[in-house]
Amino acid sequence: METIAVIFILTGLLFDLGGTIGILRLPDVYTRLHMAGKLDTLGSLCLLLGLAVVNAIPLGTAELFVSGKILLILILVFITSPTATHAMVDAGIKAGLTPWRKGDMRR
Amino acid sequence: MKKLTLAAVVIAGLLLALTTLDFPRWGDPQTPASMHVSARFIEKSLEEMATPNIVTAVLGDYRAFDTMLETIVVFTAGLACFFILRTRMTREDLEPAAPENDPLDLAGEDLVIKTVARTFIPLIQLFGLYVLAHGHYSPGGGFQGGVIFAAAYILLAVSHDMKTALRHMSERASHLLSAAGVLLFAGIGVICMTNGVNFLDYGGLAGILGMSLATGHSFAILLIESGVALTVTAALIMIFKLLSSHGTVQEGF
Repeated sequence: METIAVIFILTGLLFDLGGTIGILRLPDVYTRLHMAGKLDTLGSLCLLLGLAVVNAIPLGTAELFVSGKILLILILVFITSPTATHAMVDAGIKAGLTPWRKGDMRR
Repeated sequence: MKKLTLAAVVIAGLLLALTTLDFPRWGDPQTPASMHVSARFIEKSLEEMATPNIVTAVLGDYRAFDTMLETIVVFTAGLACFFILRTRMTREDLEPAAPENDPLDLAGEDLVIKTVARTFIPLIQLFGLYVLAHGHYSPGGGFQGGVIFAAAYILLAVSHDMKTALRHMSERASHLLSAAGVLLFAGIGVICMTNGVNFLDYGGLAGILGMSLATGHSFAILLIESGVALTVTAALIMIFKLLSSHGTVQEGF
């Protein structure tokens, strides 16, 4: 059980690291949102899954309840994070922000 | 220049770290914070106030007057925003030729955002009620619950439009609710006074309603927290409406 949890948490940390590097490296709003939305969602999911597994190790009723609450948070993040990314991209398109092309300046 | 800035930041951080050496040791009984009234709060709050959560006992019973005036501060902030920002002008006065197809018109016409907002607003409101009602036993209380409620309303306003938001709570309703919260809080204090005890001493309320002391205290704390939550919700909603529409409370900015 503990090895499963450690693998989940390390995977989540790896995804979060990739998201951070992408936000720092990429040239404009849309590409940065692409990295942030996808990788941070998946990283948070893996981290929360690992935490739920860690909580459920003693297999008592109370611990399982806490793990269930963590799974509910996971569902919430899974729905809201892509929606927030979608809303930001939508606002950028409506405000007339053109996507980055090869040869442009970083923005 | 960048290196200079970095050096300044590092030096400031080191100075801050140095000042932490002057802090008292963790749990030192000689510090001012743990000398005067803390011991009495920790030892006697359960038998005097019958409230399991010490923080709630301090904020809602020992210092209820202070909390009441904090609520009035939030109410006054809402009123000040109203008096400064609200204009009698309409959108047409401010923008003589409002184009129909304005590319900057960011009114929520998006199916995804609308659906997710409609799904999550009831859950957010339920969580706000939970935080409000469980302030007696666990972390939470009126201010936090009120902010969560206001966040649900603001989510409705940014995902749909101002017209929908006003249909759910008009401007008059938010003003009345923010005043009603303060009135509820102060009214509990006055009701306690009619039984011959001090202002906001909930033992008086327990005597009037014929309850035990613990039931009276928990009932009174629930009522005053509801008052705080009403005021905070309505004042935040008021400020949001005024700031998001240039004081006209109309769509289109």
